[in-house]
Amino acid sequence: MRRRGLKFLRVALAAIVFAGLAAAFLDFRGLVPPGWAHRLAALQFVPATLALATGGTALVLVALLAVTLAFGRVYCSVVCPLGILQDLIGRLAAGLGSRRRPMPFARANNWLRYGVLTAVVATILAGGASIAGAYTDPYSNFGRIFSGLFRPVLVAVNNALVAPTGGLKLAGLYRVDPPWPDPAILWPALAVLVLVTILAAWRARIYCNTLCPVGTLLGWVAARGAFRLTLDRGACVKCADCLRTCKAQCIDLRTGAIDASRCVACYNCIDACERHGIAYRWSWGRPAGGPVRPPLPDVGRRAFLAHASWAITAAVGGTNRLLAVTAPIAADGDKASRAICPPGAGGIDRFVERCTACQLCVSACPTHVLQPALAEYGFAGCMKPRLDYTAAFCNFDCQRCAEVCPTGAIARQTLAAKQVTRIGLARLDLESCIVKTKGTDCAACSEHCPTKAVDTVPYGDGLRLPQVTDDLCIGCGACEYACPAVPRKAIKVAGRRSHEVAARRVEEKAKDPRKGGGFPF
Amino acid sequence: MPTRREFLKSGLALGAAVSLPGWRRLAAAETAAAAAPKPILVAVRDGTRPAMLDAALKALGGLGAFVRPGQTVCLKPNIGWDAPPERGADTHPELVGHLTRLCLAAGAKSVAVFDNTCDQWQRCYENSGIEQAARAAGAQVVNGKDRSLYREVEIPGGVSLKRALVHSLVLDSDVLLNVPVLKHHSGTGMTAAMKNLMGCIWDRGFYHQNNVHQAIADFLLLRKPTLNILDAYHPMVRNGPRGKTVDDVVEMRLLLASTDPVALDAAAARTLGLDPATIAYIRLGAELKLGISDLEAVDVRRVSLA
Repeated sequence: MRRRGLKFLRVALAAIVFAGLAAAFLDFRGLVPPGWAHRLAALQFVPATLALATGGTALVLVALLAVTLAFGRVYCSVVCPLGILQDLIGRLAAGLGSRRRPMPFARANNWLRYGVLTAVVATILAGGASIAGAYTDPYSNFGRIFSGLFRPVLVAVNNALVAPTGGLKLAGLYRVDPPWPDPAILWPALAVLVLVTILAAWRARIYCNTLCPVGTLLGWVAARGAFRLTLDRGACVKCADCLRTCKAQCIDLRTGAIDASRCVACYNCIDACERHGIAYRWSWGRPAGGPVRPPLPDVGRRAFLAHASWAITAAVGGTNRLLAVTAPIAADGDKASRAICPPGAGGIDRFVERCTACQLCVSACPTHVLQPALAEYGFAGCMKPRLDYTAAFCNFDCQRCAEVCPTGAIARQTLAAKQVTRIGLARLDLESCIVKTKGTDCAACSEHCPTKAVDTVPYGDGLRLPQVTDDLCIGCGACEYACPAVPRKAIKVAGRRSHEVAARRVEEKAKDPRKGGGFPF
Repeated sequence: MPTRREFLKSGLALGAAVSLPGWRRLAAAETAAAAAPKPILVAVRDGTRPAMLDAALKALGGLGAFVRPGQTVCLKPNIGWDAPPERGADTHPELVGHLTRLCLAAGAKSVAVFDNTCDQWQRCYENSGIEQAARAAGAQVVNGKDRSLYREVEIPGGVSLKRALVHSLVLDSDVLLNVPVLKHHSGTGMTAAMKNLMGCIWDRGFYHQNNVHQAIADFLLLRKPTLNILDAYHPMVRNGPRGKTVDDVVEMRLLLASTDPVALDAAAARTLGLDPATIAYIRLGAELKLGISDLEAVDVRRVSLA
């Protein structure tokens, strides 16, 4: 019973984390209120690291490192949703029979894993956090897969269920038609899903132990851990039951060593060993790699140094070049930008640097105005959220995106501050305006404007013509969304590269317009 | 589409005419025309919303005159904006809740509430307080943003709005109760009964593209509400229709009710200090004989609860 405890705890915690994050990313109609499910995102390694730059607490990062140093890569088995996803895929693959033979011990692929880690770290140091941090983060890859690929499938299923029943009869079930991004955006997410699925079905956690920089980094820490899973060579009869259940192929029965740098702390082996031969043992100060030194003792360090030299050079040069070539193109002047980033982001440059494109805000946005960008922010901004006013606009009294953002890329602020945060500026093209072109009233723009930056002035024969007061405009896009002019909208919002503070017009209490009071008729 | 009452009335008149000899038939028709009753407009002041609604319905012969046992009722409040009740951007939830209870007490089979909102619909439903109040009173709250619930229909005689996707609740319910809120409107001058029905159709943009005033009037050719009840307790007198703060509303403690949406809107315009003649859709509604905009020709019944 005691033996099963650890694995049971691991599975239970992993199930909670996976269910919470999956629900948050799959949510397509606001069923998951911001709360614990979204807060699980803040426990993720890369977001927690990025949050340091935005004044977030270091507590999460310290805790993650402390747990890893104490007990190994617990993070990889119970916190990382991509890791848990691979466990599920592995299970499914085993169930389907595509991986029947037990996986033997395999030597660590140090050249690859330290190479990737070095390249990533070097790119980040070279100023390319917006690329390297975002697209290699396992949590964010999970988010892109679930929000970008799986959520549309769920919506299709929902709508198929609604169609024959009729929404009126079934309260609580209704058709939803959220706007979808250009499918071209989803290819990178699909590529990662295919890669992870193949690798997980083939060799369980091989992705985590070769390609994932977070896994490699935590592995390096875990190899120096205080408590490490250790094989009791006196008890071991080399039956290989433990190896059969090991997802990391890190138990070397020949030497009796368990490679803590690759062990993801799933505790399957503890559970599998009939002779109780595997347990956590105090290992502080013991050399990384177990009681017996591996055949190539310093391969990790050597690989690291070898890679570091070329990777840093390549990354510095490459990143700067990439960022320069693919920087977002300014629309008109230095202050305007082609893409509009959410209030709280501060501005395009800061936002693109801090956001990991995890899509949590995209899934949580109640109006769906947040859509993953294609190239509007440049290469480094692919899949990072932008405001798309063709099918929605930013709700004045909402800042759900800031509430759920785990990296601080969309900073939390008071609602009052959000309501004067200028992310863009409305530009009126009266020559396209219906009031002018058709000579009839419209003012759909002004009707929707929450700050009355767009108001109307008398025009012609009793008509009302829109007018924009720049000072009051926050660029929420309500006017652009509502404008019915075709083929070209008469009012469009131009994004601001750097967000500004708009004015707020305070008016006196309105007066009773009735002539004589009482019944004016 | 004639309402049931209009159908019965015309049927009775026809029956009477057929049963009379030729020369008397003509006279009877003339008499009927001369005696065409003035539309009744009830205006109540200085009470709570439920008390004013009760008083208005009493003056109109009770809700039983409009809702019969076993009928399905569609209640169409204004839920257009994500704003709390005190901002006056939406119909007050208390009024919606009370009316729902009265309908069910009158024997209605079901009461359904919906609006095709401007702001995000779930936020509007929730923050206006209407979802909770309507549900608590026993109404079904229906999604107005589900396109599959809309059907395309012809608007008979529509000048600008000839075809439209209309919510099935509006098309299928036996009784349509229009429960708008009175507000200033930067696009059309004001919004009350006629403009509120814009929330019954899917494509609001079409109205704006095709002479919004004409389209507002045209919709009434499809279906006139069984009864219009206007919440003018604290009308939004500026920055409408969304409003910015509670400073945009003025407490007047009024409630207006009439079967004639044109007459109701004419009185509503006066309440906002406007001349009904300056609101184009009121004039167009009268021109299409959808109601009477001249308040002199309306039987206005004033009730003060003070």
